[in-house]
Order: sequence, then structure tokens, then C-alpha cells
Amino acid sequence: MVTIALPKGGLLKDSIYLLKCLGLDFSEFLENSNRQLQIWDAQRQAKALLVRNQDVPVYVEYGQAQLGIVGYDVLREKQPLVAHLVDLGYGQCRMSVAVQATSPYHSPRDLSAHCRVASKFVNCAREYFHTIDLPVDIIPLYGSVELGPITGMSEAIVDLVATGQTLKDNGLVEIEVLFHSTARLIGHPVSYRLNQGGLRDLVDLIRQKTTDSP
Amino acid sequence: MFLTLTLSLHRLNVQLHESSMVYQPPIGTKDLLPLEVAQKGWMEDRVQMVFHRWGYQRIITSTLERLDTLRAGGAVRPESVLQIQTEGEALGLRPELTASIARTAVTRMAGAPLPQRLYYIANVFRRLRGEGINGSQELFQAGVELLGGNGLSADSEILLVLLDCLSTLGLRHWCIVLGEAELTRSLLMPFPDNLRNGVRRAIAHLDRVCLETMPMAEELRKRALILLDLRGEPTKVIQTLNGLDLNPNQRRLVNRLKALAELFTENTTLLQYETVSSPTTTLILDLSLIQTFDYYTGIVFEVISDIETGQRILGQGGRYDQLLGHYHPQGKDCSGIGFCLNVEELQQALLKLNQLPQEIPPIDWLVVPTTNQSRSAAFAYAQDLRKNPHPLRVEVYLEEDLEPASVRDYAHRRNIKRIAWVEDGPSGTLENRSQPFVEIINDR
Repeated sequence: MVTIALPKGGLLKDSIYLLKCLGLDFSEFLENSNRQLQIWDAQRQAKALLVRNQDVPVYVEYGQAQLGIVGYDVLREKQPLVAHLVDLGYGQCRMSVAVQATSPYHSPRDLSAHCRVASKFVNCAREYFHTIDLPVDIIPLYGSVELGPITGMSEAIVDLVATGQTLKDNGLVEIEVLFHSTARLIGHPVSYRLNQGGLRDLVDLIRQKTTDSP
Repeated sequence: MFLTLTLSLHRLNVQLHESSMVYQPPIGTKDLLPLEVAQKGWMEDRVQMVFHRWGYQRIITSTLERLDTLRAGGAVRPESVLQIQTEGEALGLRPELTASIARTAVTRMAGAPLPQRLYYIANVFRRLRGEGINGSQELFQAGVELLGGNGLSADSEILLVLLDCLSTLGLRHWCIVLGEAELTRSLLMPFPDNLRNGVRRAIAHLDRVCLETMPMAEELRKRALILLDLRGEPTKVIQTLNGLDLNPNQRRLVNRLKALAELFTENTTLLQYETVSSPTTTLILDLSLIQTFDYYTGIVFEVISDIETGQRILGQGGRYDQLLGHYHPQGKDCSGIGFCLNVEELQQALLKLNQLPQEIPPIDWLVVPTTNQSRSAAFAYAQDLRKNPHPLRVEVYLEEDLEPASVRDYAHRRNIKRIAWVEDGPSGTLENRSQPFVEIINDR
């Protein structure tokens, strides 16, 4: 028996489709009326947990789920002790620095020392500005980060960009890409080492399915 | 008037708040109450018995160490050490025992005949830093170090002592994941210098995605991916290893690993013969079980409990033949191998199996003076009982209320087995005391 932690939000649909192709059906999670947080597949070979994006690596790190699907951005931000097993390819986006289109900044290096940067990804932001040797004050936010520069609270933001439409609608422009992100299959290291519940075969199947359909 | 009243109420609130201040232990630490101590003692007694039976001697090293000592071996990250500010010297609370034992072994114990078999049962401290956590952690470890023991026999002894501990503790199923640091390191040699550490880190952290995307020749990538998943049932892993193009040294290491796995399996059956619950051990060879630093120089292993008990890492260890050289004044190497059991993890696993004491040891006797004048005689009789060759727990009744009903109620509530009612002895001489009246309360 394998437990898989699935993320609410943007990656859920693709993740459920991928598992369905392998005979594990958790599509009940996609129904609007669904209130369940855990579902067994019909053959009771696997169980899926529906959790918040950021909580996926937590369930996997503690071994309550042997596998999980989560964006690389979350892995970079939280650095959990989990095995990075497969790049699933979907959920493409990038972590970027953005500023107001009307601002004089064309590169993060143009920002002044100790300027304010708002972000949900405080560790990614801190690490990036550390690598370019620019001391900045990070303002942690939980959402609507674009409001930082609009309201004048911060000069820049570090946030995930998929299409760039939200930035554009709010008069912001990207000036640097920190890294690209996709959905990843992660595993609980001990369960993976012990090949608990035939985990390795399932991971190989997922890998094969991912390489077959680029 | 109203304003004054509000103000004084406010003041009263502040006072109440101050007087009701709760004093809590620091984050990450905890107090062990009598039941937890009884459970910890139960585990430690068994482990200690096994250590003694294998000829290991206890060593107690200092809780405080110089930071240099802790760091010298290369396995301790300075940021994980709880540091103590003193004048002139940077000190830290030990995060593990091996460094301290290595230091003692080559200094005060230098010249002692080898091999040395040492064991410890001690607390260790770690600094915790993570999201929303900033504290310290106190943990307990029980472990052994076999110094100056070489070769297959010493490796086997350590694994068998570990096994003996686990089966004596009453664990039923567990798995030993066994790697070989020197072999894995040697198999990583074909990778160019600029890639090797990255590949090693990715293998140690099971980061396959990193290996798939790291720029390197396809031939090397294939090798890296084989190493990442080089684990499983020993004969199969040995077979895969023999299929690689091995040099004579690698071949020697593979043969030794094979011999160790065989010896281990044979002796596991022997050990299990002696235990009632007949535990099952699984041995998994795992060449990806490596650290990102060069501490271990031979076998490395982890012991993991089964799913029923939450797949906890109950202990870990390995061979470290270059560690003692870091502490020796002339840098002289001496081989070493050891393991340590994580007492908290064991406790959690054993609790799930209902193996640990569920209550504190009961009191055998309540000695009650029948009158206020017989209090001295009561203490004397209690002391007589304590001389019993079979150790008894004897409590003297201290309350003022000597009503038999109250005393019986007290004994019932506390689960005490027997009451001895002591009458006043003539003229206080102990020899002439009359025998107390014994009443059985809980006959177990």
C-alpha cells in the first residue's frame, strides 16, 4: 500500500490525470462537491491525501505519505529531506524578480542596498540576493504579492510567474528569472530505500509515463 | 471614581498575570516523569546487559567539549552544536559521543591494549534551526565503540551486538540498511573532480532529478543512476556490483561485503533461536547510503523499524578508521567501528508494541504506625523489610490521620500490596518489638 500526497490548486488536475493513466483513480478530488481529504483508489492499492501545496513535502518527509507531487519552487523554498524522484514536466512556471514597469530598475543589481523585497518565497529571495551580494530587507507575505510595489511597501517582489498576465495586469515587469519550476515526484527516503509496498515499481511506471508523453 | 476603579482593575490584572506566569522548559527539551523514566530504565537495563555480555566497558565522557574537539572528525556541523560562551574557550554541548570517545582513547587511554570495547548511555544536545523553530534538543543515546578492531570479524561483531540489543528489547521486525562508504567512494572515482561532489551529494540525498539534469557524459550519467539505485537483497546487489568493471581493491571490498552479509544471515538465525518472539531481520545492501562528508571509511548502516512502529531510524553506525588519527598527538590512525541507538525512537517503537512498563513500579509495603508513639518502631520495621535479599519497595505512612479506613483508602489509591500495622514496642528497644499485623491489600 502506498500513500500519495497531492497538492490542491494548479497541479491537481494534471497529477490526477497522470495517476489515472497508471490505473490509480482519485478523480473524486476534482468534483466541486468533494469534501474528502483522503481517497482510496477502487482496488485499494493506493491512498491519496489532498493537502496544501506547501504541506506536500511535510507529509512525505515525515513518512505519512511515501510519495508526493509538488512544484520545484516549494522544494527550493523549504529544502525538505525528501528524495527527488521524477521531473513530471507539467506545471511550468518560473521564479522571478519583478518591479513596477514605471520604475527605473532594469536588473536586480539596479536595486539599492537595503531596499524592500516582498515575497511568499522568503528563502528563495534571500538566497538569490545573497548570491548577487545585495543586502535587501525581505517582507514576507502570504498572497497578492503584486500589491507590494503598487502600494509602495516594497521596491520589488520575488514571485512565481506562469503566463505573466497577473504581473502585466498590475503594471509590473519581470527583470530576472531565478529558476524554472515544474511538478516533481518526491519520495520518503526511508520508504524508498526499503522499497516499501513496491514503491520502486510505481516510481518507474510514473517515470516511464512521463518520458513517453513529453 | 469609575476611572480609578478601571485603573485599579487594570493593575490587578497585571498582578494576576505576573503571579500566574507559567515556567516552561526550553523549546525542544522535556522533563521525563517517573513512568517515562521507568520505560527509559527498562530499555537501558536491557541494552546495558547486552553490552556487558559482549565484554564492553562503560565510559562516561564530559558533556561539555571544546568546539575544536567536536569539529575535528568532520562529521559534526558547527551550526548544530549548542555553544557555551566562556572566556577564551569556545565550548559546546556534545551532539554525539564518538568524538569524545576518540579524544579520550588516544589521550588518557593511550597505550591501553587493543581492541578496546567501550559503551555509553548518555544525553546529547543539538541546536535546532528551521522554519518557526529556534531551540535546542536533548536526546538520549546508547552505543558502543570497538576501537582497534579490524576486518570482517569486527564488522560482524558490531552488527551482531546491534541485533542482540534489538531482539533483547523485544522488537519483532526491523531492517538493517547496509552500505560501504569506501566502495561507493571508489565507484565515484571515474567522475571528474568538478562533478564528483555534486554526484555524491545527489546520491546521498536520493536526488535523481539532479543526476538526470547535471551536465555530464551519458556514460557517466548511466553509472550515477546505477549507483543511486544500487540497493536491495544482498545477493542481487553483489551480482550487479560484479557486473561493473571493478578494480582489484573494489573486488576485495565487494567480496568482504558478501562475506559479511552471509555471516550476518547465518548468525541472525542463531540469535533468533534464543528469543521467544522470533524476530525477523531484513538486510538490505544499499550502496547509496553515504554521507556527504568523509567520516566513514568502511561499512555504514541504519536500523529501521517496521511500518507497524512507524519506520523509525532506531540507530545508525559505521566504520571510521581515520577518526582517531585526528585526535592523536602524532596523528596515528587506529581503526574504529561503532553504532548508537536513538533511545527516544526506540521508546516510541516499543510503546506501539506494548513492550514497555505501563505503570511505575508498585510499592510492596506500607508500614503504618498504629499510634503516634509507634512512629519510631514503624521506621525500624520498614528498614528491616528493606534488608530483604529480594529488593522491596517500602513506604512509611506519614499522615497524621491514623484511622484504619483512611490508611486502607490510601493504600488502595496507590496500589500498594501490603500494609504492616506496627504497634509501639516496649520501652522503645527494637529487639523486643512485637510483630506487626500484616494485611494484604492488592495480591498480585
